[in-house]
Amino acid sequence: MIHDAAAYVGDWPFRDIGGTVGGLTGIMAANGMTHALVSSLQGFFYSDPTPANEKLLRDLRGRENLFAAPILNPYLVNFPEQIARLAANPQVRAIRLAPGFHGYEMAFARPLIEVAAAHRLPVIVQTKFQDRRHHPSVAHMPEVPLADALDLVASLPKARFVLSAAHFVETMREAERIRSLRNVWLDMSHLDGLECIKRAAKAVGARRLLLSTCWPFFYAKAALLKVAEAQLPARENAAVLGGNAGRVFGI
Amino acid sequence: MIIDFHAHPGYAHDLAGLREELRPLLREAAYHGVQWVCLNAIADWSPSPSPRAVRKGNDAVLALMSDYPDRVIGLCYVNPLHGEAARKELDRCVVNGGMAGIKLWIACKANHPSVDPIAARAAELNVPILQHCFYVPGLAWQTTPADVADLAARHPKMKMVIAHLTACMERGLADIQPYPNVCVDFAGGEPEATWVERAVKWLGAERVVFGTDTPIRTYGSSLGRVYQAKLTARQRALILSGNARRLLGRRFPG
Repeated sequence: MIHDAAAYVGDWPFRDIGGTVGGLTGIMAANGMTHALVSSLQGFFYSDPTPANEKLLRDLRGRENLFAAPILNPYLVNFPEQIARLAANPQVRAIRLAPGFHGYEMAFARPLIEVAAAHRLPVIVQTKFQDRRHHPSVAHMPEVPLADALDLVASLPKARFVLSAAHFVETMREAERIRSLRNVWLDMSHLDGLECIKRAAKAVGARRLLLSTCWPFFYAKAALLKVAEAQLPARENAAVLGGNAGRVFGI
Repeated sequence: MIIDFHAHPGYAHDLAGLREELRPLLREAAYHGVQWVCLNAIADWSPSPSPRAVRKGNDAVLALMSDYPDRVIGLCYVNPLHGEAARKELDRCVVNGGMAGIKLWIACKANHPSVDPIAARAAELNVPILQHCFYVPGLAWQTTPADVADLAARHPKMKMVIAHLTACMERGLADIQPYPNVCVDFAGGEPEATWVERAVKWLGAERVVFGTDTPIRTYGSSLGRVYQAKLTARQRALILSGNARRLLGRRFPG
């Protein structure tokens, strides 16, 4: 079983990357991926992501191999009702926060995360998305320091966190702390550099790494080859490819 | 066969350290069927390294070529601001040392007058130049594709590969499109989708070259782009090796 813990559908406003549900299922089939956790790209850009989430859920409805991670904005104080509604939908397996897009510090999301935890929904924190050197001139999206996110992880032990798109160097710097916390996993889509997965698995533990393609923004094949080239022991390889995501998201 | 046109031996400042770093690099390359790795050592990674540092870095690459004659192709890094000394270093490494190309980084822009003698000598020797290239706000002092277009217009017989497609973007592809002697590699950036196809659309597959920038990127991250991009088998073969072989010409050791 191969689960993609970070895929997207929808439009990227700065170039056509073809993020359709059909495109996603095609990529999954071509690469042997059985399930994907999907968010809406528009959800990053809408100050109220609700319409993007509603469209996402409509698009995914009836597709048993696709699960949703709607994007929430904690500035919208109705988040308790939103989370309750989303938690009632069996296709929703997590919520995604995008502090860099919606403009808040990590600690500001604490009340929302507490509500999500009460509903047993894992919270995915988008620490970055695009290499900051390539940001379009109209949209510079600040990154979330991994240390800030980990402060929150440490202070909310009942919440489950997935830190999405972290840098390799930053991950290695925080590796000991990540390893010591039992409620955090890493989306490996943006880990890069020679032997990055092998080294990250050694540093934080393979049980913390989730295969994540960041398709359609990234070529999905890149993530799969990164895991393959690590040549992890069979049990660790299976955990990274799907076992860990299966446990975190209940897939 | 796959040729990585853009790789660095590592971050170490001495040969022993680079030898250590190169082992896993070549192992990862071999895992993916990458037979040839074009290595360039950017001296001490300072923007404008001294002649001594340049020579030390190139000496390391010459030693690594000798260690792995069936895996490593050397590209000679020069700092154009060194003037005649840069020309001599180029000849030492390429004419006498068997390196197959030249690497230019960020000591000056590609259209700086000091680059002209390097470009002219590269054309005489029929060896390619790999030029670091960016359109990144705040880094305007580094070479842009427009700077390369300036140089290419002055040196139509020079063969150049600009690095870092993802940071050059459509604007950069448009800049170099009129100059058939300029190709692009997609080393170094994150594996952002559609860029390989965009480069092929703008330039043709004959002008798109596989490179990784390893150890900054993994082979998986770089090859995943070529394997997933919507390409014909012929286009993929050109990108993975055919274009590099053509650029390296008779100096290709394979």
